[in-house]
Amino acid sequence: MELTPIITVNDLHFSYPKRPVLEGIDFTLQRGEVVSLLGPNGCGKSTLIRLILKLIHAARGEIWLHNKTLHRYSHREIASHIAYIPQYHNVPFNYSVLEMVIMGRISKLGLFASPSENDRIIAIKSLERVGISDLATRPFGQLSGGQKQMVLLARALTQGVDTFIMDEPVSGLDYGNQIRLLELIVSLSAQGYTFLKTTHYPDHALMVSSRVVVMNDGKIIADGNPSDVITAPMIREVYGINTDLITHNSNTWCIPTFSKGAL
Amino acid sequence: MKRIKPLGWIIGATMLLIVIATLSLLWGQYPITLETLIGYLQFKVLGGVGNDTYTLLDNIILQIRLPRVMLAILIGASLATSGAAFQAMFVNPLVSPGILGVLAGASFGAALGMLISDHWFVVQALAFTFGFVAVGVAVLIGTMVTNSRSTVMLVLGGVISSALFTSILSIIKYLADPYSTLPAIVYWLMGSLTMADLSGVILISVPMLLSIAGMIMLGKYFDILSLGDEEAKALGVNVPLVRFGAILLATLASSLSVVMAGIIGWIGLIIPHIIRMAIGPSHRLLMPLSAIVGGAFLLLADTISRLAFSVEVPIGILTSLIGIPIFIIVLKNARAAWN
Repeated sequence: MELTPIITVNDLHFSYPKRPVLEGIDFTLQRGEVVSLLGPNGCGKSTLIRLILKLIHAARGEIWLHNKTLHRYSHREIASHIAYIPQYHNVPFNYSVLEMVIMGRISKLGLFASPSENDRIIAIKSLERVGISDLATRPFGQLSGGQKQMVLLARALTQGVDTFIMDEPVSGLDYGNQIRLLELIVSLSAQGYTFLKTTHYPDHALMVSSRVVVMNDGKIIADGNPSDVITAPMIREVYGINTDLITHNSNTWCIPTFSKGAL
Repeated sequence: MKRIKPLGWIIGATMLLIVIATLSLLWGQYPITLETLIGYLQFKVLGGVGNDTYTLLDNIILQIRLPRVMLAILIGASLATSGAAFQAMFVNPLVSPGILGVLAGASFGAALGMLISDHWFVVQALAFTFGFVAVGVAVLIGTMVTNSRSTVMLVLGGVISSALFTSILSIIKYLADPYSTLPAIVYWLMGSLTMADLSGVILISVPMLLSIAGMIMLGKYFDILSLGDEEAKALGVNVPLVRFGAILLATLASSLSVVMAGIIGWIGLIIPHIIRMAIGPSHRLLMPLSAIVGGAFLLLADTISRLAFSVEVPIGILTSLIGIPIFIIVLKNARAAWN
């Protein structure tokens, strides 16, 4: 498959007052990839995502989206290339699930236009694709975390783009919903969607990624094939814990080993 | 229960508004029958042979009741849409059009006008100007303190700006002549629609209707804005532009309402809540319905104030007295729309 870069990040630096967060990030997201950004809390994963979405601005370095630098795009134009799926959250107003999903069409609407019947149909189809069309009329606020996350994924599908950025998509979901969401990512990836997602779970990165990027202290310390990158020494370096990596049915799993005296 | 379609709500509310407006034209110290009104309208539109009654009606309807009906609808609609826009933008059920200081600023401006001039135009111009100045001060404080555009800081900026202009309003009251200017200021602050004259109302209706229409148009963006700034930006919304537009339009509409009728409270707070309770939180429908129902509510309150009491009660007092119990009921039942 020919590699087509969607997002290219060159020598990116970002800092909050008196605290550097990202120091010299180089990174590329190619079409068709599922890239997991792995790293401990505060390593700069979410900052990198926010920079790519132009929610914050870098001190140095540049981000390319297709063939233009990011600062030449408006948010509306970025939204016509990339859909962002945040962690599920509460919304202040009790919109219905369908209303939430239709909001994904906002970047396609003119100033005077309201969502059309066509937008509604797209939203309903997106709900079907993630398997929650039965929730359409339910208030979003009354859903479980797993259902909310699926609604946000359906909303991203209505945006009509093929690149998804997800911020810790399984965070706060129960075990079953975590796996169902990962399955959905795999299935959408097979349909041609590109994913960039942050994760706290090496296991999940091993399960669904085509590539893993490991960050620590604002730098990328490893970038490559999941099974090459995720090793016991890497996990010790990044998370400070010992693990065994076990391969079963061609899948690799990460088993933490408790320090002496814990058991 | 079958769900009422959005258009059904709009048509229903508009019909309610027309009924109230018609009654308000008919009722008063000189009662007019519906037949007379229809005959008069036919005469006005189609022409024909006039009579003495029609000359009288020219005076009562065109000069007195119609301007007042129009003004009540315009101001009610302005305040309700401004309130709905601000509640959406600040994601806060307690927010009303005055949140950024526009009412305090306009009140100060009007009082200053009464102190320094006898011309009504000066009073109106200063009320309008200081409405904007107060919001400008709020925005300046809100962005100065944190160097960011967080809505919490903006609200705090509004609180500070309101407090500032309320204090200097007190200075004006203290300085004002206690026998002429002070009562004028106090009565004016209670709110009144008695100043309505046809040409003034028509003149003011243009910017008011434009700002109401603008806020209604922004409705679909308010839905997205309520998800938080970052999510709204990621969905492709120009957040600073929508926010700036909403503040500008709401300030314009609110300032003009103060210019024409003084301070009329509670409408901007309760009407959006009532609508949200009935139809849910989607601002695409909430904004136009707030405009229609806000207009109908103030017109009804004004009609009651004209008819029910031997002395005309200032409309601001009446909207508060009606608004408070409604607000309590609404808050008790409003949980369906707010999380």
